Amino acid sequence: MGSSVEDAGLVARTLAGDRAAFGVLVERYAGQARRVARAVLGDPDDADDAAQDGFLSALVKLGQYDPRRPFGPWLMRIVANAATDRRRRRNVRRVEPLEPSLVGGGPRPDAAAIRSELGDRLRAALAELPERRRKAVVLFDVEGYSHAEIAGILGIPEGTVRSEVFHARRRLRTLLADWKEP
Amino acid sequence: MKDPQPFDHRPDPELGAALRAALDPQGDQSAFVARVLAQYGTALDRASIPTLDVLASWFRPGIAAAAAALVLGFVFGRAVLEPTSATESIDAAMAPVEGPGLAALVMAQDPPDASVVFTSLVEPQ
Repeated sequence: MGSSVEDAGLVARTLAGDRAAFGVLVERYAGQARRVARAVLGDPDDADDAAQDGFLSALVKLGQYDPRRPFGPWLMRIVANAATDRRRRRNVRRVEPLEPSLVGGGPRPDAAAIRSELGDRLRAALAELPERRRKAVVLFDVEGYSHAEIAGILGIPEGTVRSEVFHARRRLRTLLADWKEP
Repeated sequence: MKDPQPFDHRPDPELGAALRAALDPQGDQSAFVARVLAQYGTALDRASIPTLDVLASWFRPGIAAAAAALVLGFVFGRAVLEPTSATESIDAAMAPVEGPGLAALVMAQDPPDASVVFTSLVEPQ
């Protein structure tokens, strides 16, 4: 994540028509945007589509951004909304079900496979959480936003963010703890 | 992993790392950036069409549709709701009926007899 000053400068240049400056912003926040979108949508291709929608929507609305405030939360709000919109439109398509071997703890051939398996289980566990809880825990524990910033991104009170993060963590930590058990 | 404390204000690095690994995009980031930038001009062009222009493009068809609806409504209303003429109404009221009916009641010099009134009400037309 870039500093607010750098981001504000890039935004100003983008507003002046500098396409390359917008490219730097996209590069800087691409990983974050794609992860947040994937937390909402599950499917990586849908997530990339939503992240792209978010970046382009942000580009169009860039004049509304207040450069005195951090750029990341402003952008993440747009990306998260774009992902939610896409999920609503998609509606009938669901996250692919896990293979029975993954659910039941199948064979573990090597470290890469183990990581992949853990990733599958975490994604499945995330998919079971309510969408707002998913967003909250990913923004907090993965992207490092504060409760106050997440409250701004999700448009909910800070206390609700704390509660959502707590409940999401309880579920995910249980999963991780079980995973470590022999 | 830390013991889950309610409303812990610090990020959990272990959970964060596991989630990050689970959610990290598999595709090349530069390809994604290029894909977004490829839409840069299109997005700005689309946004540069002011809302007023869009509304203006609807103006003429909208006015034509409203005028057509007004004319149709007027014609239909005139055909359906036009009141019957006063002459027809009086003629209908005064139409002769068998026995001491409505005409007898209206034309009579004396106050109506109650039996005539009741008869005119119950008598089949």
